[in-house]
Amino acid sequence: MSAIIEIKNITKEFKVLNRREGLKGSLKDLFSRDYKIVRAVDNISMTIEQGEIVGYLGPNGAGKSTTIKMMTGVLEPTSGEILVDGNIPYQNRTKNAQKIGVVFGQRSQLWWALPLVESFKLLRDIYQIPGKDYEEMLALYRSLVDIEPLLHKPVRQMSLGQRTLSDILAAFLHNPKIVFLDEPTIGLDVSMKAKIRTLIHALNQEKHTTVILTTHDMGDVDALCRRIVIIDKGKMLYDNDIEHLKRFFGSYRTLKIRVAGDLSEQADKIQKEVPECSVSADEEWISVLVDEDKAGVMEVLGKLQKTHRIRDMQLEEISTEEVIKKIYEEGVK
Amino acid sequence: MKRKGFRFYFKIYCKILAQDLKSKMSYRADFIISTIGMIFTNISGFVSFWILFRNFPQIKGWDYYEMLFLYGFSLISITPVQCFFDNNWSLRQYVYSGDFIKYCFRPINLFFYYQSEVFDVKGLGQLAFGIGTLVYAWIKIGLGFTPLMLLKITVFLLTASLIMIALQNAAAATCFWIQNSFYVLDLAYRFRDYAKYPITIFSPVFRFVFTFVMPIAFIAYYPSLVVLRPDTVPVLSWLSPLIGIAFFYVSYRIWMFGAMKYSGTGS
Repeated sequence: MSAIIEIKNITKEFKVLNRREGLKGSLKDLFSRDYKIVRAVDNISMTIEQGEIVGYLGPNGAGKSTTIKMMTGVLEPTSGEILVDGNIPYQNRTKNAQKIGVVFGQRSQLWWALPLVESFKLLRDIYQIPGKDYEEMLALYRSLVDIEPLLHKPVRQMSLGQRTLSDILAAFLHNPKIVFLDEPTIGLDVSMKAKIRTLIHALNQEKHTTVILTTHDMGDVDALCRRIVIIDKGKMLYDNDIEHLKRFFGSYRTLKIRVAGDLSEQADKIQKEVPECSVSADEEWISVLVDEDKAGVMEVLGKLQKTHRIRDMQLEEISTEEVIKKIYEEGVK
Repeated sequence: MKRKGFRFYFKIYCKILAQDLKSKMSYRADFIISTIGMIFTNISGFVSFWILFRNFPQIKGWDYYEMLFLYGFSLISITPVQCFFDNNWSLRQYVYSGDFIKYCFRPINLFFYYQSEVFDVKGLGQLAFGIGTLVYAWIKIGLGFTPLMLLKITVFLLTASLIMIALQNAAAATCFWIQNSFYVLDLAYRFRDYAKYPITIFSPVFRFVFTFVMPIAFIAYYPSLVVLRPDTVPVLSWLSPLIGIAFFYVSYRIWMFGAMKYSGTGS
């Protein structure tokens, strides 16, 4: 294993205009400008090995995109160092581009009017992919997904799922060392999500491609990533194995119960009764997250049984989703 | 990785162009309507020109056919910008919506990649109009024909095109800094109408502006003098190829500078 991305203490600051409110404020902005410095990424360091799939997580506005843009060479860090396969991305943007693939979930990079296969041929020329490698890659794609119906369809006419799939295939086509996937499964249905996860996993295994994945879908993380990096407000909160994180929250259990009446209303009531737990509700269950160091599950259940008629119950280990939620809320202490 | 020289880019451009034409042909109605639109725009421009000359047989010593020559010359010289650089018109939307970032990840020249995406076929019709007008005026003036003249007119047409392209590049690039760059681009586009007239008809202030600030006088007037008035060619005319290249280069650097500092929107 060798390091493919090395990031040392990078910081990115933006100068933003302090906008005043209302029309009068806007007029004032025209004449006197009042800037403030916003630190989007604050002193982040990490090393990523060749062949890893890293989940890069954080709430909206945490600085994920900014970090990705610095790794792809679109942005220059304010301070700190980034090396991508030995290159400084911002200074050698073209050279860097040859080694990476990028997919933005919502923004196709393919030629809108062209059938997929023509886009592939153009990419083959742009990236100067040798004919043999190109054919091998197409053969691999054929073995992994059913691409025949996609090949002759203009990208414009594809569904969102097909387009995302095509974009991912296009990003891997020149066999890059690293592929950045920015929310690849956003807006997709369950079966398409599964298809895309399988594809990413297979390509990573087959080509030993490093994958940096940003997502809000914990299903993606569970299916693909062993290591996760979490940032919030530009600062790194966590960088380690996902299992380690779960052990860290090992004393947590999720108690799922079903009671009579409107679930979200009941959940609010229950929250008041057991303030030490965090309570949420979906269509089927009320979930009570219990920290067993503070209160036993049976204790909580006993308390609730006195006031509610519990029709059904389940006990679960903490899910990745809840772990991440807790970290966003409280951080790792 | 091989070095990417002119041949590499030329090959890529031809392939993109061929694909683009193929997909455009598949929208027949679109193709026909835009061609008809182009023809009518040119005819109406020509008619207003003709009406003008019914009333004023001469403008500052320039007669009808000489003016027609200028007119044809300017039509040809705006063809390249129309055909090859039409994507400049969409730059503003790409930058504003954040979609411009998709152009930043390819291992080829960003400016080339961006402009290669669109080829406007309508420009070709305009080219035909322009050549027709120019040849007609040429014969009527009785300029005669030598290979040297052909060389001169070709060089100066290329020069004029470069300046037109440069003007549009620079205007489009303003969107990297300001939100409403459409007006700048539109202004640059409208100014080219003035390129059809001999600069001597304007007041000294505008003469200065059109020569040194917004060099539209180089789009048709100065280059045409070389063929039309070979006895009294000002130095500026001979300089125009250099000015064309320099101005194009500057506009390219401005465009690239803007593109490199582009940071995208949040996602």
